[in-house]
Amino acid sequence: MTDQLSLVKGTLDVLVLKTLSWGAMHGFEITSWLEDRSGGTLDVEDSALYQALHRLEERGLISAEWGMTENNRRARYYSLTRTGRAHLRAETTRWLRYTEMVSDILGAATRTA
Amino acid sequence: MLPPRARRFFRLAIHRRALLAREVDDEIAFHLDARAAQLVARQMSPDDARAEALRRFGDVDAARHTLNRSATRREARMKLREIVANSWQDLRYAARGIRRSPGFAAAVILTLALGIGANATMFGVVDRLLLRPPAGVVAPNEVNRVYLTTANGFQGLQLGSNQSYRRYLDLAQHVHTTQDIAAHYERERVFGVGEGARQERTSFVTGSFWPLIGVHPVLGRFFNESEDQLPQGTPVAVLGYGYWQSQFGGRSDVLGRTLRIGGTDYTIIGVTPPGFSGLSLQSVAAFIPLTAGAADMFAEFGPNVKWSEQYRVGWLQTIVRRKPGVSVQTATADMTNAFRQSIETQRAVEPAGLLASNKMNAQATLGSVLESRGPRRSQSATVSLWLMAVSGLVLLMACANVANLLIARALRRRREIAIRQAIGVSRARLLAQLLTESTLLALLGGVAGVLVAHWGGALLRSVLLPNLDWSTGIFDHRVLVFAGVVALGAGLVTGLAPIRQLANTDVASALRSGGRGTSLRSSRLRRTLLVVQGAVSVVLLVGAGLFVRSFRNVRALDLGFTPEHVLAIGVTTRGTPLDTVQKEQLAQAMVERAVTLPNVQHASRGLTVPFSSEWTQPIVVPGVDSSRLRDFFYVVPVGADYLATMGTRLVSGRTITDADRAGSEPVVVLSQSAAQHIWPGANPIGRCIKLQATTPCLTVIGTAQDIRASFQDEPSLQLYVPIAQQPQPEIRLFVRVRGDAAKSIEPVRRSLQELMPGAAYVNADPLEDFVASEFRSWRLGATMFTIFGLLALLVAAVGLYSVVAYDVSQRTQEIGVRVALGATAGTVIRLVLADGVRVVAFGLVLGGIVALAFANHVTPLLYHITGKDPVTYAFVVLVLLAVALMASLAPALRASRVDPNIALRAE
Repeated sequence: MTDQLSLVKGTLDVLVLKTLSWGAMHGFEITSWLEDRSGGTLDVEDSALYQALHRLEERGLISAEWGMTENNRRARYYSLTRTGRAHLRAETTRWLRYTEMVSDILGAATRTA
Repeated sequence: MLPPRARRFFRLAIHRRALLAREVDDEIAFHLDARAAQLVARQMSPDDARAEALRRFGDVDAARHTLNRSATRREARMKLREIVANSWQDLRYAARGIRRSPGFAAAVILTLALGIGANATMFGVVDRLLLRPPAGVVAPNEVNRVYLTTANGFQGLQLGSNQSYRRYLDLAQHVHTTQDIAAHYERERVFGVGEGARQERTSFVTGSFWPLIGVHPVLGRFFNESEDQLPQGTPVAVLGYGYWQSQFGGRSDVLGRTLRIGGTDYTIIGVTPPGFSGLSLQSVAAFIPLTAGAADMFAEFGPNVKWSEQYRVGWLQTIVRRKPGVSVQTATADMTNAFRQSIETQRAVEPAGLLASNKMNAQATLGSVLESRGPRRSQSATVSLWLMAVSGLVLLMACANVANLLIARALRRRREIAIRQAIGVSRARLLAQLLTESTLLALLGGVAGVLVAHWGGALLRSVLLPNLDWSTGIFDHRVLVFAGVVALGAGLVTGLAPIRQLANTDVASALRSGGRGTSLRSSRLRRTLLVVQGAVSVVLLVGAGLFVRSFRNVRALDLGFTPEHVLAIGVTTRGTPLDTVQKEQLAQAMVERAVTLPNVQHASRGLTVPFSSEWTQPIVVPGVDSSRLRDFFYVVPVGADYLATMGTRLVSGRTITDADRAGSEPVVVLSQSAAQHIWPGANPIGRCIKLQATTPCLTVIGTAQDIRASFQDEPSLQLYVPIAQQPQPEIRLFVRVRGDAAKSIEPVRRSLQELMPGAAYVNADPLEDFVASEFRSWRLGATMFTIFGLLALLVAAVGLYSVVAYDVSQRTQEIGVRVALGATAGTVIRLVLADGVRVVAFGLVLGGIVALAFANHVTPLLYHITGKDPVTYAFVVLVLLAVALMASLAPALRASRVDPNIALRAE
């Protein structure tokens, strides 16, 4: 795997929330989903993901319950809470503004050079 | 409790740590499996896939640790939220329950309010007298009052807190285990001059008093030992906070001003903090150096009293602060030693009246800083403890009653509770709900109780302890805390009663019977409570009856004089000492002035005040064997018109007049009993009595009605002698006024004050006050027992009503059947009434037995009545039966209106 991106601190939480906005998933589904979306460029240890999940659960942004997978295995399913959804919206806006500003500055610098 | 999985389903906290860890492990294991499966699906060998999965996961152990910690935190928060939510729910449930049955709630709250209020009131008093150390005393446990005991030959051991200044100096010199030693003395002194002069409580303290106590002035400074030196100290005064506020408006420019106390002008140098009254329970207007106050005060007693030198002039009390680490025992031994050394010094200068050293048995005792806890406990303190016990009894009754009400209510709600159990509410939750309800009720009762204590406290202050300084309030935080604790305790105790009943509820049968159906066991418990309540009511009401009758007996007693309209007038001579002749003249002038006043009927000189002071001695009668005569007769020097002033009838002969002057024939008027005692059956007029063998004959000129100089059973043997023939260095007047004596005090006092030379001061008090203070204990007993007895009766009546009413509601069907079978309304009423009365009858018998058992203990406290007074007992029986009938009547009438059609159809 070439050209791996390491995550900016705090980004993983938003990405998890975004993933869960599509519906309840267990931990492995979330990883797979993120890997698919990033085209395999996301460099994050699986354990970091679980820590993020538990952290979010503690803050009440997501909730968890045990459920069954299609293969009839017991798995812990996470879903967004109402506060989690609101938090995702706010964070998304903030991130987009931030990246917009950063790329504006970086892009402009390239043109004048 | 729900199984963990079900709890998880409802998002409820799982209370097991191991389970949490397993969940974390499961989640990690699942992830690794899923990852490996994914890799295998991408053509990786299973072993490689497993390794790759682990590699991608990272440090498993570290992750497990972090995840576990975060899971635990999450759980804890969930648990807390659950508890808060449950409690809130319980509280709302309880509040809803209370709103739904306001009558029940009112009964419970009122009952508890009375019980808690009575206890909070009594606690306030007991706290003030016996528990709370005096305000402002630093480390009160190190401070002791010193009591000295000696054998004095004829009275056995004599306990004294009155010590001479000389003794204090000796003790201070010889004692080694104390850090500070001080002396103090308190009395009323006249403040100010002229018409504005008033008597105020004054404390004489040594300069060492202030460092011993450790208090600091709010204004100015305290005096020190150099200002408290013989012979007469420095005239400086420290004001009490209350006096400073009321007389000087709390102004700081009061420092340096002078204040006349007694016969001396004192310079004000400081103010004590609020609430500080030295070691006294009464508020003190001013503190002055002991030597300064004593020099002024003893000047009034004449030059023969050498207060600073003589050991026999005992008046002050010594207090000490022990050195750190010195036990009371050690300090007591040391003080006893110092006392014995002091006695030996005394033997050298003042041997009169001292026994031999080995017979003295001299002993020092170090008592609590609280006088009420020392060896000389006041009557009020004893009575307060006693009343505290009685009020505790009332509280127990109130709790029993509330328990009864709650049981009845719980039984009525059996169906509701069964439903809750059936849908899976746990026992623990039900318990919490019931306890929340009873505790909420009890706390509301506590709040109402504090209000009761507020008013009750005012009553108590006026009846029980009128002289106490309550400026810091009976209502401090300790009383509030006490009320709160009692309320919580009552809530728990009463809340637990119905739980025992419900714990055994069989859900199915409760649902089937539709909440009806009596439990025999519970009914027995409730009846037992009622019997006990009835018994307590009987005991308290018997007590009330006995004290009320005693009080009435005391009031109805013919004293032989009528104190209601009489003022007792005295003079405090300050500064300019008067000799006996000047005092005679002044007293005579006062009598002459008094009789000219519009409201005054009679006025006369006297010396002793009945119920307060006396002059008693044996007499000598020529021709009569003195061993046959009583040891003491009351000698009463009087002016003309004395008998008329006091309202005592002359029986035979003539009374004392102004013609009986010094130099004329010495005469005496006897009380009838005295005459009978000396010359039984003979006419005493013209016979001779001598006060001492060597003094001349007093010729008997008349006899007067008997009087009682105390509430002793025997009328006292009185000898009225003309005061002009027995000159006294004391000014005492009695004035009979029309109407209310209290209203005449000021006009009379002001008019007589005009005659006063120098700074002398007139004080006037209703004679009734002297008498009333003698029967205060009966009035107190009558008042408090009546209040507590009526409280108990009310509580018992409410309890009986609730039980009978409940039984009637339970027996509706049975009564319906009876009516259907031909029972008349009268039969039904009799049936229910008999039921209530039967319970009370048991209580009557039980309470009667208890009261009789205590009868002998209470008899000495009564007056002209025994503790087994049949009238009182009969009266209490009648009252209780009447109350029982009344309490049962309403439910009985309801029962008689049962319509058999409706009652039977409800089945």
